[in-house]
Amino acid sequence: MDTFLIDGQSVTFEPGENILQAALEADIQIPHFCYHAALGSLGACRLCAVEINPKDSDKNARVVMACLEPAQKGLEVSLSAAAAQQVRRHVIELLMINHPHDCPICDEGGECHLQEMTVACGPSYRRYRGNKRTFPNQDLGPLIHHEMNRCITCYRCTRFYQDYALGNDLGAMRLRNEVYFGRFQDGPLENPFAGNLVEICPTGVFTDAVFRQHFARTWDLKTAPSICPHCSVGCNTLPGARDGTLRRVRNRAHQELNRWFICDRGRYGHQYSEHNTRPLSPRVSGINTDYRSALAAAARKIQAAAERTGGIGSVREDLEGNVMLRSLLNDLKGIFTAFNDPELEAATLTAVSRMQELDNTPHLAALEQIDAALITGDLTVHAPMIDLALRQAWRNGAKLAMLHSSVAPLTQFASTAATVAPREIHDMLTQLYRQISRQPETNDAVTQTIKTIAATLSQARQPLMAGVVETSTAQDIIALAELAKAFEPAAQLIYVLPGPNAYGAALLSAAGDTVSLLKAVERGEVQTLIVAGSDPFSEPRSGARWRVARQKINTLIVLDCIATATAEAADILIPVAAWPERSGTFVNYEGRAQGFSTVFHRPEYLPSTADIISEISRLLENQLCDAASMLQDSFPGFQAPTPGTPGVQISAQHLPIRNNELMQTEPYSSDNGWQAALTSWLGDEPLAGFSPALTELAPPDTALINPESAARASLKSGSSVRLWNSVYSVETCVQINPSVANETIAIPRSMLVRLGIGHGDSLNLEQLV
Amino acid sequence: MTDIDTLQKDLANLPPDHPDRREAAVPAMLSLQSETGYLDDAAIEKIAEVTGLSSTEIEELATFYSLIYRCPTGRHIVQICDSVCCSMRGADQLLTAAENYLGAPLGGLASECAPTVLPSICLGLCDKAPAALVDGEAAGPLNRTLLETLLKRLQTEE
Repeated sequence: MDTFLIDGQSVTFEPGENILQAALEADIQIPHFCYHAALGSLGACRLCAVEINPKDSDKNARVVMACLEPAQKGLEVSLSAAAAQQVRRHVIELLMINHPHDCPICDEGGECHLQEMTVACGPSYRRYRGNKRTFPNQDLGPLIHHEMNRCITCYRCTRFYQDYALGNDLGAMRLRNEVYFGRFQDGPLENPFAGNLVEICPTGVFTDAVFRQHFARTWDLKTAPSICPHCSVGCNTLPGARDGTLRRVRNRAHQELNRWFICDRGRYGHQYSEHNTRPLSPRVSGINTDYRSALAAAARKIQAAAERTGGIGSVREDLEGNVMLRSLLNDLKGIFTAFNDPELEAATLTAVSRMQELDNTPHLAALEQIDAALITGDLTVHAPMIDLALRQAWRNGAKLAMLHSSVAPLTQFASTAATVAPREIHDMLTQLYRQISRQPETNDAVTQTIKTIAATLSQARQPLMAGVVETSTAQDIIALAELAKAFEPAAQLIYVLPGPNAYGAALLSAAGDTVSLLKAVERGEVQTLIVAGSDPFSEPRSGARWRVARQKINTLIVLDCIATATAEAADILIPVAAWPERSGTFVNYEGRAQGFSTVFHRPEYLPSTADIISEISRLLENQLCDAASMLQDSFPGFQAPTPGTPGVQISAQHLPIRNNELMQTEPYSSDNGWQAALTSWLGDEPLAGFSPALTELAPPDTALINPESAARASLKSGSSVRLWNSVYSVETCVQINPSVANETIAIPRSMLVRLGIGHGDSLNLEQLV
Repeated sequence: MTDIDTLQKDLANLPPDHPDRREAAVPAMLSLQSETGYLDDAAIEKIAEVTGLSSTEIEELATFYSLIYRCPTGRHIVQICDSVCCSMRGADQLLTAAENYLGAPLGGLASECAPTVLPSICLGLCDKAPAALVDGEAAGPLNRTLLETLLKRLQTEE
C-alpha cells in the first residue's frame, strides 16, 4: 500500500482516496465540516486547509483543501504549517460571524462539531461587531427542532436528506448570505430517516425534539452499547439515560449494519419505556403487589396446572428469555411456542430455513452493492434500514423490481413495480420462476411485467430477492427462495422477519406448536398460560381466537414491559426490564447474534424475563440452569456475544426444509371477493406504538382502495363503508390510493385485529348511506 | 388554454424522473408570474403539481432566482445593482433615496400604483454604474434626481 506524509508521519491510503479520508482513517484529525464519510467531499466549508510542500525546491508550498486533493505517493502534507493554520482560523472566524453565542442554552452543546472546531482552530474572540443575520424557524413536527440562526451552510443536511435518503421535502432556499435550510411550509419531515439530521448537522440547527422535552447534557448521560428492538435488522444503538430515565437513542456505528444512520423508529421509538401506562409494579388479580408475592402466586398456579401449562415466548423477547421459558415448559411437559399466529410461525420458520439453506443473506453494507432486486412487500416500514441500503444501491444504478399489495414507498425508485393482490403473489412468483428457468407453461399468460422483471434479474451480476414475512405466506416464501435458487450461486436472499429476535425465536420453536397450543387452549386443556413479551390478543389473524380462548384459561400470567391488550387482561402481571435496562442477546435477520448491555437502572426493581423465569423455577423446586448454559445446549459452542462487538453468526442446526403440503397454513379461500391487505406506517410496531412523538404522525385509519376497484364498487374517496367477515365488523371511510392492488382493501393493523383477520384474508364490504 | 395547462399536458406522459420535468420548472414559474406579477404559495404548489417535483424543490428554485418574485410586486419593477462597481459609485445611496421617495422599505409597496424597488446582484452593466433594470430594460448611470424622476414617471403612468 502506498503512503504519504502528514507532518512527517507516514499515512497509508487506498487508490482514489483523498488526503482527508486517508488522514481520518489513520486517526489524524484534520479539522473539517462539510466532509462526511457517507456523503463524500464537497469543498463548501474550506476548513480542511492543509499545505503541500513542493517537490521542486524552487516552487512555493501551496494550501489546498484536504477533502478535494487526491492522496498521492510521497506527498508531503503539513497540517501545522502557518499558512494552513491561518486559513483555518479565518474560516472559523467567518463562520462564527453570524453564529449565535447561545452555547449555554443550545442542545448541541458538548457534542457540537462547530464548538470543537472553533476551540481547535479559531480565534478565541469575535472581532465582528455588526448585526447578525437572523431567520425565523420552522415547525418541523414532533421529532426535530429547528434553530436556523445556528446554520454554517455546510449543506450536510440537504446532501443527506436529498442525495442519500432521497427525501424531497427539505431543501436549500434563497442564496448568498441568506441560504435557508427548511421545508416549503411548516410541517413534519416526511422521510423515515429524517432524524439523522440531528446527528449529521455539525451544529445545533436540527436537534432531537423528543430529547429536548426531557433534556440532559451529553456528559451527564449514562450510555452503553445496545441493539435496536424495533425490527429484525438489529441496528446498533447508543441509548443515553439520566436519573433513572431513558432520554434518547443515537446511532452506534457497525461496519456491516448501520454505519452512520438509523431510522426514525429506532431513534424515537424508545419512548415506550417512559410511557405513563408502562407496568412498573407486579399485579395479581388487578391489585398491585410486590415481586415476591406475585412470583409465589404464579408458581402456585403453575404447580397446580403442571403439564396443563402453556407458554408463549416472543419474537421481541431476547434469546435468554425465550430459552428459559422453553426449558420451564419442557420440564413441565407443557407446550411452548414463540409465536402467536400459526401462519406467522410457519412463514417465519420457512423463511429462516430457506435463508439457512441458501446461506447468502447479505448485511446492509453488501446490500448497497447489489445491481438488481426483486422486492415483495413494503420494506420501508418492516425494515427501514434495508430500504435505506437499497436506496444506495439504486443510486449506484441498481434496478429494483417490486411486487406489492399495498402502499410501499420504495416503489418510487422501482424500475418495475406491480400491484398484486396478496393471494396472487404466489402465482406471480411461480410464473416468474418458469419464465426465468425457460419452462413457461402454455396456459401462462406471461405479462410484460413478468418479462421485464425476469430480464432484469437474469442480466444482473448479483440479483437480490427480498420478502417481508409478515405479509407473506409460507408458500410465497418458498416461491421466492426457489427463484433465488434459480440464480445460485450469485443470488442473495433476505426475508424481513417479524421482530428483533424472530430468527432466534424461530430456532427455538418447533413447527406446528403454535397451532397445537392455540387449539389446546380453545379445548380448555391449558389451565395456566405464561406469555413473555408477547401480545397474542392483538395479533391480526389469531387475536380474535386468543381473546375468545382466554375464557378457558384459569390463570393468565404475562411478563412484559408495555401495557399490551394481553397484559391488561392478565391475572398475574409481572413487569420486566425494557431493553436498555437489561442485557441479553438478539439474533437479527442474518442470523447474527448481537449482545446488548444494561445502560441504566430505573428506580423501580425490574428484573429481566430470564431472571423471573429462573426465580419461578426455583419456587417450583426445579431450579433451571442459567440462560447461558441453556443456550449452549441449544446452540453448540454458544458464547454470548460481547455488547459493542460486531456479533457472531449463531451456530444452529438448520431448520428442516418443509414443502407446501407439510405446511400448517390454510390456503386463502378461492372466492373472488375483496381481500384484506395490511397497510402499515413507520410507528406501527408493538413498542414504538407507545411512543407519543411517533404516534402523533400516524396516518388516519381509513380503508385504501385503488381507483379501478373503487369505481367498480361505486365508491368515492370519503365514502363510509362497513367491513365485515363472518363474526366482526368495523366502520370506516374509503380513501382512493393507486398503490393498492385490485380487489384489495388495505387497512391498518388495528382494523385487522378488530376484524380478526390477517393480510390476505377475505372480507366483505358494504357501502353505508 | 393557458401556457401552464399546455405544459401540464406535455409533461403528463413523461416518466417521473424525466429531466424535462425539472427543466420545465423555471419557464412554468415565469409563465405564471407573467399573469399575476408574483408567485404565491398556491402558485408554487401548482407548479409542483404540473412538473411532478415537490413543492420544496420548486421553492428552492423560486427563492434562488432574483427575477422570480415570491411577494406581491408593483406594476413596475426597478432593480438597482448593489455589486462592487455600482456600490462604489453610489448604489447604496440610491437604494436609500428610493426608500425615502416611495415611503416603503425595499421590496415593499406603499400604494397600489407604486413601483417595486429591489437591490440586485451584479447586472453586468458596470459601464453604466450605478445601473438598474427597469422592467427588464437597462438604465444608467443613475443619480438621485434621475432615479426620482424615473420613479415618479412609473408611479403616474398607466
